[in-house]
Amino acid sequence: MTKETFLHDKHIKLGAKMVDFAGWHMPVQYTSIIEEHKTVRENVGLFDVSHMGEVFVSGKDSLAFLQKIVPQDISKLAYEKAVYCQLPNKSGGLIDDLIIYKLGINFYLIICNAARIDEDLNWMVRNKKGLDVKIDNQSHNYSLLAVQGPKADALLRTMGLDTLQESFSIKPASICGKKLLISRTGYTGEDGYELLVENEFSEELWDEILDYGKDFGIKPIGLGARDTLRLEAGLHLYGNDLNENITPIEAGLSWSVPKDKKEDYNGKDVIMSQIANGVTKRLIGLKMLDKSIARHEYEVYKNGEKIGFITSGGISPILNANIAMAYVKNDKDICIGSVVQVMIREKLHNAEVVKRPFVNKNNRVKI
Amino acid sequence: MSITEKLLCSKSHEYLLLNDDNTYTIGLTDYAVEQLGDIVFIELPEVGNEFKKGESFGAVESVKAASEIYMPISGKVIEINESLVDSPETLNDDVYESGWLIKIEATGEASEQDDLMEYEDYKEDLE
Repeated sequence: MTKETFLHDKHIKLGAKMVDFAGWHMPVQYTSIIEEHKTVRENVGLFDVSHMGEVFVSGKDSLAFLQKIVPQDISKLAYEKAVYCQLPNKSGGLIDDLIIYKLGINFYLIICNAARIDEDLNWMVRNKKGLDVKIDNQSHNYSLLAVQGPKADALLRTMGLDTLQESFSIKPASICGKKLLISRTGYTGEDGYELLVENEFSEELWDEILDYGKDFGIKPIGLGARDTLRLEAGLHLYGNDLNENITPIEAGLSWSVPKDKKEDYNGKDVIMSQIANGVTKRLIGLKMLDKSIARHEYEVYKNGEKIGFITSGGISPILNANIAMAYVKNDKDICIGSVVQVMIREKLHNAEVVKRPFVNKNNRVKI
Repeated sequence: MSITEKLLCSKSHEYLLLNDDNTYTIGLTDYAVEQLGDIVFIELPEVGNEFKKGESFGAVESVKAASEIYMPISGKVIEINESLVDSPETLNDDVYESGWLIKIEATGEASEQDDLMEYEDYKEDLE
C-alpha cells in the first residue's frame, strides 16, 4: 500500500501533481519543475522529504557499531556534527548512502533513503551481533522538511530560529513554539536546512514556513526539481548512481573514505585495494554537445566501442545545457575534455566529459 | 465548432485532424502535454519520411522523461513544425493551433481510423 506523509493533504491543496516514489505518494511538481528549480537556486524552496528514513543508534557500543558499518571514521565526528557516509556490503558495494549525525555520547541519528530503510535495518541488525547497541527506527514518527536556497538562512532567522554557523552541523532548536532538530544539510547543492519534527507539528510548521517565506520568494518544491537540483550539484541518487555492485571509489566518493581509519569495516579490503590499485569502472560527468538529453540506462560509446552507460541524466536549467552522470571503463583517454557519444533512440550524440558538480553553490558556508 | 470536436485521438495520446485539403495534422493531446510537464526537447522526422500506423515518428521529452510519438494512421510527412523544434517549451502553451507536430498525406486504408476516439470519448476513456 502506498504511504502518505503527514503533509499529503497540503500537497493536494497546493495542486501538486502526485506520483508514487519508493512506496510513497509524493508531490513531483506544484507548478513547473524548471520554475521550482530556479526558485531554489535564486531564493528559497520548501520540500517535504518525510519519506526519508530516520534511525537512532544508541548504547555503549554505538561507536564501534558505526565504525563497522561505514568507511567514514565516526570517531572523528564531533558532537552536533554530521557526515556523509555509505553503507557497504562485504564486497564494498553499497546498500545505501546516508548522513550520520552525532547527537550525544553514544547517541547518533542516521538519515537514509526511503526505498532502502528495510535493507538498511536488516543489515544493521546483522552487524550488531555481540554489541551493546539499540537500533531504533523512528521513521514513522518524524516528518522532515527541507528549506533550501541562498535565502534559507535569512528566512529561518526571521522566524526566530537560532540558525547554525556551519554546514553539516545539527542541534535541537525551537521554532514557533515547536521543538525540532535543525541541521545545515540538504540535497540541492545550495545552502539550506533540514528540519526534523514530530509528525503532529509538521503541518503547522509547513504553513508557517510558506507564510514567512512569502517575503523571500519561497515556493513549495516537488521531487522533480529535487532530482534536477541534485543532478546539477553532482550528487548521487541511490538506485540510479549507486547500488550493491558499485563501490564508493568507483562512484567518485573517495573523499568520503579515509585512508587511515584503523578499524575494520564491511568491504574494507575491496575498497582499500581499489584505492591502491585503481578501479575498472568509474563515474564521470557529461555535458551534451547538442540539444539531446541523456537518460538513465542509455549506452555510452567512444570510437564505436561501448564503454559504459548513463545512470542519471537530464536538463540543467541553470547551465541551459543537458547533463548526465555515467559509469564508464577507467581509461586514461576518457578524461575531462574528452568527447564521447551517447546512444539516444538509435543515434549517437556527442557529449563532453566535464567536472562535477556541474554548477557551484551560490552561498558557500564553512564546513 | 471548437477544434477538439474535429479531433480523433489515439490511446497513446496523439490527435489526428483532417484538414480542408484532405491532408492530416498530427499532434499531442492537451492531456498528454499536461501530464508530461515542462517540454524541453522535440524530435520530428524529415519531410518525405513514410511511417506505418503505430510506428514511432518522433519523440518529446519533458524534464522528467522521454516519450516516443506514434503515428495514429499510416502516412507520408509533408510538413513539420520547425518552430517547435527550436522552442519546444511553446508546446506547453498550446497543442492544437501553434503546437501541431507534423502534417501528412494518408497512405493507408480509411479503416485505420476505426480504433481512434473522438475527443470526448478519449477524455472519458482517461478516467
